[in-house]
Amino acid sequence: MLSTIQPPRYLSRFPLRGRTKSRSFHILSSAQPVTKTCFAADQSQILSIRDSLLNRHLSAVELTHSYLDRLKQTEPHINCFLHVSDPDKVLKQAQDIDDKIKRNEEVGPLAGVLVAIKDNICTADMPSTGGSYILEGYRPPFDATAVKRLKDLGAIVVGKTNLDEFGMGSTTEASAFKVTANPWDLSRVPGGSSGGSAASVSARQCVVSLGSDTGGSVRQPASFCGVVGLKPTYGRVSRFGLMAYASSLDVIGCFGSSVADTGILLHAISGHDSLDATSSKREVPDFTSQFTYASSLKSRPLEGLRVGLIRETVDAGVDSGVKSAIEGAAAHLEQLGCVLKEVSLPSFSLGLPAYYILASSESSSNLSRYDGVRYGNQASSDELNGLYEESRAKGFGSEVKMRILMGTYALSAGYYDAYYKRAQQVRTIIRKSFKAALDENDILISPAAPSAAYKIGEKKNDPLAMYAGDIMTVNVNLAGLPALVLPCGFVEGGAVGLPVGLQIIGAAFDEEKLVKVGHIFEQTLEGYNFVPPLVTDVGGASPEL
Amino acid sequence: MGSRALLMLTNFNFKTTVSSFGSASNPFFLIKNNLRTRNFSTKTRSSLQPPDLPGLAETARISLAPNEVEEFAPKIGQVIDWFGQLQAVDLDNVEPAIRADTEGDNLREDAPQTFENKEALIASVPSYEEPYIKVPKVLNKE
Repeated sequence: MLSTIQPPRYLSRFPLRGRTKSRSFHILSSAQPVTKTCFAADQSQILSIRDSLLNRHLSAVELTHSYLDRLKQTEPHINCFLHVSDPDKVLKQAQDIDDKIKRNEEVGPLAGVLVAIKDNICTADMPSTGGSYILEGYRPPFDATAVKRLKDLGAIVVGKTNLDEFGMGSTTEASAFKVTANPWDLSRVPGGSSGGSAASVSARQCVVSLGSDTGGSVRQPASFCGVVGLKPTYGRVSRFGLMAYASSLDVIGCFGSSVADTGILLHAISGHDSLDATSSKREVPDFTSQFTYASSLKSRPLEGLRVGLIRETVDAGVDSGVKSAIEGAAAHLEQLGCVLKEVSLPSFSLGLPAYYILASSESSSNLSRYDGVRYGNQASSDELNGLYEESRAKGFGSEVKMRILMGTYALSAGYYDAYYKRAQQVRTIIRKSFKAALDENDILISPAAPSAAYKIGEKKNDPLAMYAGDIMTVNVNLAGLPALVLPCGFVEGGAVGLPVGLQIIGAAFDEEKLVKVGHIFEQTLEGYNFVPPLVTDVGGASPEL
Repeated sequence: MGSRALLMLTNFNFKTTVSSFGSASNPFFLIKNNLRTRNFSTKTRSSLQPPDLPGLAETARISLAPNEVEEFAPKIGQVIDWFGQLQAVDLDNVEPAIRADTEGDNLREDAPQTFENKEALIASVPSYEEPYIKVPKVLNKE
């Protein structure tokens, strides 16, 4: 059923509490001593950190040193970061937190939590390049709202992560600067476009990270890197400060090593922002309020939950290893009490061309601001059009140029009705079909990608082959719905196997249900270790919590 | 692996209006079509003019080197052909959706606010001659 491909030694080195029947979920409790375990998926790293800091078991400086050491050791292998914060500044922030705690002053709920930020999200005190030469060295004059909220809650930004240029890509190979490697197998891609953010959490270089998801750019790398990725409902998180790729599809999403961490992170950044006209005024519930201690879970904690497996996502074209991992996950959900059935969404495959038409078209408009005049790299020319043309020719990579040209085509007079308008109509159909399916089911499930991580360079010259990999994720963006991806199994490949993620899709603004289901699934999943061997092989730094 | 994923891109023709979602009858369409059109076809589906790359590049204000035109043209052509499959879908009476519309408009008051960090804004400008952002002359094209 659930195939375990890993050799036993990893399981014994990390005595997963999953091997025993009862697990305890570490929530704030100053009476209990903090047990030294490593990266076990059943913990919330954020809450454990808070617990340790407030109980003075660990200082923020010690914690920061531990993460920075691991970052330094793993980074030459995986190249997640385009910019790493000055260690002295980072340690000073940690020291400030320790001082506050010593003085019994209040510290924010994310105090001491190291966060990495995808480089298409603006940070005022660090370069923000969007992965592109055209913004090389650019320092925004403001923080993105999501970043500001994290900082206000005490989080420490450890650096800016690598991405496909302006979010266009599924492998992180389209970055102007470097290629990030998958921590599970250095010859493979981490996924994209938020590959750096996913790989960074996977390699435990930071606690959590922010990415962006326009067509799957948080969910697919989460699947490839064996971490949790949470895409919120469109409008849940302010897009102010996120470099726009496709404005009707973009969202900022969260990565963590556990469902709880992504839920906590999402809560921190969610909420209305007057600077983003598409941000929702809806109240933001505490996404983790429905969490239950695993030890007090009834035998079938999800009794009666209606789950729809999208038939079109387990059809021909999907890796058999992925299919069996998803079938295993579905069986696990059934054991938890879910009522599982197959759901068909006939318009499913139309979403992919519709998505690429809409995304290319909107990006052709959004990227027209990069003209070398007010910011970024400027080419020299003796006349204005030449300045635009040369700056953009030199500054943009091939994938970006191609998408701008495709978008320009789809929007040109005479073609608008044939392409863009039709794609918008397909969006209506897809929205309605998801709504109908979610009226009959509480959640929908599918793989996050048709395969596990593939080799670096494999899809580089074949755009359609690369786009095909987005089939599982784009429809969710078209419908604006929230989705959670969490690791559920492995397929063959690499040293110990390659992780596979389960995608759980919910109704609009129902992130709470996704997080609750994901958390219970994760807590009760036994026999897996989703920490890549790279983290332990690198050695030296001892695990901290 | 990539070629198997391409199977999911195979076009299926909607000969009837897509009115019921999730109904039992539709899946048979998929199965039939998947078997028939196993290989991804790159024949031109679109009846519209193929993209004129140099013209598009001018509209998009990006100068393309000749080798780039050569490299991009087939790839872009392939993708636009693939876009063409939407022509076959019956979309009569379907409203276009500008966005997911998960919520209505949330406009703020049209009141100006001072942006504090003006120095950083100006510092980012590549060619600045107080108080002007400097650009080369505009050549009028006919």
